[in-house]
Amino acid sequence: MASSQVVKVLIVDDDVLTRRIYRTMLFRFGFEITEAGDGKSAVNQFLTGNEYDLILMDNDMPSMDGVEATRTLRGMGIPAKIIAITADANSRGAFLDAGADEFLLKPVNFTVLTDILKAFNFLN
Amino acid sequence: MASAPLKAQLTDLLNSMFAMDFLDEQFKELQMLEEASGPGFLAEVVTLFCGDAERIISQLSVLLNEPVVDFGKVDANVHQLKGSSSSVGAKRVALVCVKFRNVCQENDKEGCIAALHEIRHEFDELHKKFQTMVQLEQQIQVLDSKQMN
Repeated sequence: MASSQVVKVLIVDDDVLTRRIYRTMLFRFGFEITEAGDGKSAVNQFLTGNEYDLILMDNDMPSMDGVEATRTLRGMGIPAKIIAITADANSRGAFLDAGADEFLLKPVNFTVLTDILKAFNFLN
Repeated sequence: MASAPLKAQLTDLLNSMFAMDFLDEQFKELQMLEEASGPGFLAEVVTLFCGDAERIISQLSVLLNEPVVDFGKVDANVHQLKGSSSSVGAKRVALVCVKFRNVCQENDKEGCIAALHEIRHEFDELHKKFQTMVQLEQQIQVLDSKQMN
């Protein structure tokens, strides 16, 4: 985990509506939420010294897509859990090869996402 | 409770929207989130969605009026609209987006124009119902907080 006790989450999606929905879902668990609108911004979060325990990563984004962002972060040695959440079913293999820990198709089923968070020990 | 008739009206509205496939299970997921996080979340989400949808539909109209249509840009916009409509459970809008992408991928301009008209119609119908839903929720909140004071 990142240095504090609170789970720190980075939501990476170019859609404001999607980020709002995920934020509401995760905030009720007491997580600390940061948002990024594309893969490049997500990578920059880590380059500027921020730490996160969990990343929710979309794929189809400007500047840098989610697969490339995932590959870049793993290349930097970032250990955060990465859950790919995308409408692009064909990107599953690429995401897992790039180092994502889980892959979900949009729209997200919140029970399934909660189960994954429990499996990652982010929830008591 | 003063808000009871309005709550009944809201329940009827939402039930009819589900029955007529305006909404699907994803909207129920958002309703559960609102129960956990407090009132106002659904209103914010549908307002964001409607703003996005209006913008995208206008952009699609511009793109399809070009002498040479950039079907790549059209597809990207429809993809975005499909994503946001799926996120809020706007089933009929999402389904028309699927049809739209199919004709777009065939570079069928007339097909795209027809699909755009259909999306406009489906979105307008949904938008009216969402506006009613938000108004009812706001009225209910006002009455409930007066009751508590």
